Amino acid sequence: MSTNYIVENLKKEIDNFSSQIKAEKVGHVLEVFDGIAKVSGLSDIKSSEMVTFPNGETGVALNLEEDTVGVIILDDFSKIKEGDEVKTTGKILEIPVSDNIVGRVVNALGVEIDGKGVIKADKTYPIEKVAPGVITRLSVDKPVATGIKVIDAIIPIGRGQRELIIGDRQTGKTAIAIDTILNQKGQNMICIYVSISQKDSKLRKIQTRLEAGGAMAYTIIVSAGSSEPAPLSYIAPYAGVSIAEYFMDQGKDVLIIYDDLSKHAVAYREISLLLRRPPGREAYPGDVFYLHSRLLERACRRNQEYGGGSITALPIVETQAGDVTAYIPTNVISITDGQIFLETDLFYKGIRPAVNVGLSVSRVGSKAQIKAMKKVAGTLKLDLAQYRELEAFAQFGSDLDNVTKQQLERGKRAVEVLKQPQYTPIAIERQVAVLYALTKGYMDDIPVDKIKEFEEGLINYTENNTKNFYKEVIETNIWTEAGEVELKKAIEEFKTNF
Amino acid sequence: MTTLSNNDIACAIYLVSKDKTHAELHSVINKVVRFFVRKRLLSKTEDILSRLNKIINNENKKIIVKLLSAKKLKEEIKKELISFLRERYKAEEIIFMETIDEKLLGGIRVEVNDEIIDLTVKNKIKKLQEYLIRKT
Repeated sequence: MSTNYIVENLKKEIDNFSSQIKAEKVGHVLEVFDGIAKVSGLSDIKSSEMVTFPNGETGVALNLEEDTVGVIILDDFSKIKEGDEVKTTGKILEIPVSDNIVGRVVNALGVEIDGKGVIKADKTYPIEKVAPGVITRLSVDKPVATGIKVIDAIIPIGRGQRELIIGDRQTGKTAIAIDTILNQKGQNMICIYVSISQKDSKLRKIQTRLEAGGAMAYTIIVSAGSSEPAPLSYIAPYAGVSIAEYFMDQGKDVLIIYDDLSKHAVAYREISLLLRRPPGREAYPGDVFYLHSRLLERACRRNQEYGGGSITALPIVETQAGDVTAYIPTNVISITDGQIFLETDLFYKGIRPAVNVGLSVSRVGSKAQIKAMKKVAGTLKLDLAQYRELEAFAQFGSDLDNVTKQQLERGKRAVEVLKQPQYTPIAIERQVAVLYALTKGYMDDIPVDKIKEFEEGLINYTENNTKNFYKEVIETNIWTEAGEVELKKAIEEFKTNF
Repeated sequence: MTTLSNNDIACAIYLVSKDKTHAELHSVINKVVRFFVRKRLLSKTEDILSRLNKIINNENKKIIVKLLSAKKLKEEIKKELISFLRERYKAEEIIFMETIDEKLLGGIRVEVNDEIIDLTVKNKIKKLQEYLIRKT
């Protein structure tokens, strides 16, 4: 490249440059501390408006007071000093969005952090947006296949639903979310994993796992690490849902996971306390409910008139010692359309995923299930509930009548069937075959320790011998008698050879 | 109970001292000082007085303009500027606080309250720099 070429190009660019003369509103930094700046002036500033500091740092105005403005700083604040000039931008905080973002890891401001180069984007989306109205919505009736038997069968999730994953630490909350992402391969779903104040090592592990499973081809990771300032953790979920809205506006289905909202609330509490907002219960500010409700309300399923598309939200909340009555868990439970409750006791008993079927619920229910699953899993929840009740009762007496004995045996097998190792999502048609065998009593005489073996064999056998049934379940989503007969025959054949 | 802000106090002082004769004003000032002592507001006096100054200026349509330039401005340019500022801020009286700063390279920078009109060469170069970075 010659010097002349560079000079000519530079001249051309300079000729194209024109600067508009306009009056700018400015303020001055009064104090800076812990990622917060108090700024004087800025008389016409709007709430959530972006401001810029002299070294190019960005901030967002959160507290508009009589004489000062409380600004949260989204970049390194070590160079900001008292008296610095702060300028308004007239823009509400927004992030760049484009189709190129798929498969990338970005920070809460939409800037890449995976070292794979700049993400070119020609559009920006505001971080805060009013949730879609009633007229634009459609009821939830299309399933999201998680690939986890206990969820798809008992606590089905629909596209556009908000299902909370709640439980103590180390109970497999993130595992459920990651398995769900892995199972979306070929399901025409864009996945967004929002990591809020998580360890970078954990995020890296997740990214590697998703890459290994080929899931990064349809996944975006939005990360606000634990070493980054609290304001970034605060805006990360909103940035995530803004990216989701970009894809929903194209009529696509999006799955978004917020991992986790308890840390998000903690980050917001930190900011609020630093901004000297009055603390309430557990020192959280008064608007902590609105913090999550306005975020989760943006998950929806749009009707065709408004472009179709959906955002399914799977927020995660961590409880302390199984206490679901704490402030943030109760808030998020009341906002969402159901919860998957994970228990430490079940986890250590070897029941994994450690889902407590009694406390877990999906308010959308069987509407979000395919017909075949509805047919086979209808009685499963009741069977399990009865089993749990009888299990406690049976410990005290040995003389049990046959019906009770049979219920206990069925329950034991149901628990065994619903166990599933991590990173092994199972296709919905296979789940149907296994659950049919369970609920119709084909497994009742199989020893409990042989159930896993039986299940694996059955899946392989039915896959090769019930092609019509599988086709019906996947492609046409119908349940016919002929299909049922075919499945029944295959199960019986397999059982005789087992 | 809501606490009184410095601005509220300045506003109240302005209202009680408005249109008062010299003798009346003397008694008002006495009362204000006693009020400051009683409410332990003496440490905030400087801020309250600067706010009072702003309120009086606002009522009298008087603006204080900070004028920064690389070299001393000619009288004709100043006159032009005064007529522009009078129209923009609906002011009757304009007080200039001029500063010469060679680092601005050329042009002027006008500061009124929290509004800035920056017409300096330094600012234009900075904007050109931002533009070129954005383009590459």
